[in-house]
Amino acid sequence: MAKVLMKGNEAIGEAAIRAGCLNYFAYPITPQSEVAEYLARRLPEEGGVFLQGESEVAVSYMIFGASGCGERVMTTSSSPGISLMGEALSYITCGECPAVFVNIVRGGPGLGGILPSQGDYLQATKGGGHGDYRLLVMAPDSVQEAVEMTMAAFPLAEKYRNPVMILGDGLIGQMMEPVEFPEDLAAAPTNKDDWATNGMDTRGSETRNLLKTLYLDPEALNAHNLKLRAKYEKMKAEEVRYKTYNIESDYQALIVSYGTMSRVCRTAIDNFKEEGLEVAMIRPQTVFPFPEAAIHEAAGKDGCKVAVSVEMNMGQMLEDVRLSVLGQCPVEWYGKCGGEVPTPEEVMEAVRSFIGS
Amino acid sequence: MDINLKGVVVIVGNYGSGKTEVAVNLGIKRKQDGIDVLLADLDLVNPYFRIREARSYLSKMGIDVILPPRKYLHADLPILSPKVGGLIRNPATLSILDAGGDGVGTIVLAALADMFKDRPVDMLQVINPFRPFTADVNGCLVMRERIEAASRLKVTGLIGNAHLLDDTTTADVLQGYELVTGVSRASGLPIAFITAAAGLTQEIRAAGVTCPMLPIERQLTMPWKKAAEADG
Repeated sequence: MAKVLMKGNEAIGEAAIRAGCLNYFAYPITPQSEVAEYLARRLPEEGGVFLQGESEVAVSYMIFGASGCGERVMTTSSSPGISLMGEALSYITCGECPAVFVNIVRGGPGLGGILPSQGDYLQATKGGGHGDYRLLVMAPDSVQEAVEMTMAAFPLAEKYRNPVMILGDGLIGQMMEPVEFPEDLAAAPTNKDDWATNGMDTRGSETRNLLKTLYLDPEALNAHNLKLRAKYEKMKAEEVRYKTYNIESDYQALIVSYGTMSRVCRTAIDNFKEEGLEVAMIRPQTVFPFPEAAIHEAAGKDGCKVAVSVEMNMGQMLEDVRLSVLGQCPVEWYGKCGGEVPTPEEVMEAVRSFIGS
Repeated sequence: MDINLKGVVVIVGNYGSGKTEVAVNLGIKRKQDGIDVLLADLDLVNPYFRIREARSYLSKMGIDVILPPRKYLHADLPILSPKVGGLIRNPATLSILDAGGDGVGTIVLAALADMFKDRPVDMLQVINPFRPFTADVNGCLVMRERIEAASRLKVTGLIGNAHLLDDTTTADVLQGYELVTGVSRASGLPIAFITAAAGLTQEIRAAGVTCPMLPIERQLTMPWKKAAEADG
């Protein structure tokens, strides 16, 4: 297919269709409402369903229901809406159902603001809902990558029978870039008969599929949680994705940054190079599982004086970077958390001061 | 052929067709021609990438911009500055109204219908064939119907704005020219002008395009890139 010019939100909607997802439930919120607007128009053309729920809480349980029936299903929202979905995310994870959740993050806490933010890092990677669970979380830095990650999210959710989250800041949803939809990422049909509650007659089976979220017996709950834990360990072993930038140089500082923030950092690194100062970057593409080993190795390289976590929040990824660097060099934070995207010059000033100190 | 637009010009089109970038560049071009230009941001539906983001550069160029009060710039509320009414009643030599996308984004124009009454208004539809839903003549005509129904105004001309941002080639612009020519033929609407990145205009002329052309220096850019500085 030829290139088209799309907003991230539209492209995520189209990517879901290309991945075989014909069920989309959502509730509008800036800055992601264009996904719903786009799919409201496109899904009926494909024989799919878009339904706007009466709230994000309702939507999130519609996702649970559709997923439990073995349907490929997606929702999109933005920060406060994702908070409302936290309960269902926990239930869906406990019920081991695959689903794709997209969070186009806006400023918080509270109602916050509508401008770009990465303030939901901890919510996405450490919880948001209750109990022992994790989401596989991918953070695109471009509209093209948002397409590819959305398309990849469905088979990954099915592989682990666990929700996958696409974590994009507001810019990812709102900006336009030329995109192509890769044919080879079209997901194969789900092997849903193993678990979906789609009827024993439908699948010609003699055994019931049971999806449940209540384990009153402590031994059973313990066993279930350890089973979930094993899946998260498998994700850590098999799904870590990241990109490096200028990592072959003799760098004095290592930036860790993801999403659109990392593109500002790339420009900063290019500018530094012109000044004769080498700085490298690791950009996590998955923020859970986190590229701990790669960051550990990069921070330990001779000459690296400091690692800097650059984020559009008050330093939420900082802890993960520290746990990766494990004291080999100081770890600092730079960022803004009001909706303004730091400029390359501001990133440079911060990195320069950390190298100097 | 040159672009001689004057009076009240409303820029419409589907989401992401490039209305704001066209409005800003048109304003700068006409200001450089030596006429008074006023820009009004009527985009009440889009949260980012609106004229307000180019406001400091525009004011540096001597172009007045009508915006909601500063404290409401990111309020996510449909605020229409009362100054817009004054602009329509007493237009600058060229007053450009940058509307929101699709029919939805132009409903605001219907609220101004009384003020538009009996006043000449150019409403120009921006067309980019690389955007969803306007890749062919029929898609563009459907978009025009939606915009006219919502705005209660008639589209009076077309702007060909074919581009894929930094990936745009001369062939892409020519493909867009072909589409806008087709829309013009099917609708009877004239082509007001087409746009092209400043670096491509010569090649496009050489390919035989004779209609007026607006060179684009991008002003609404990503935080990791710099906006172009126009001469003058």
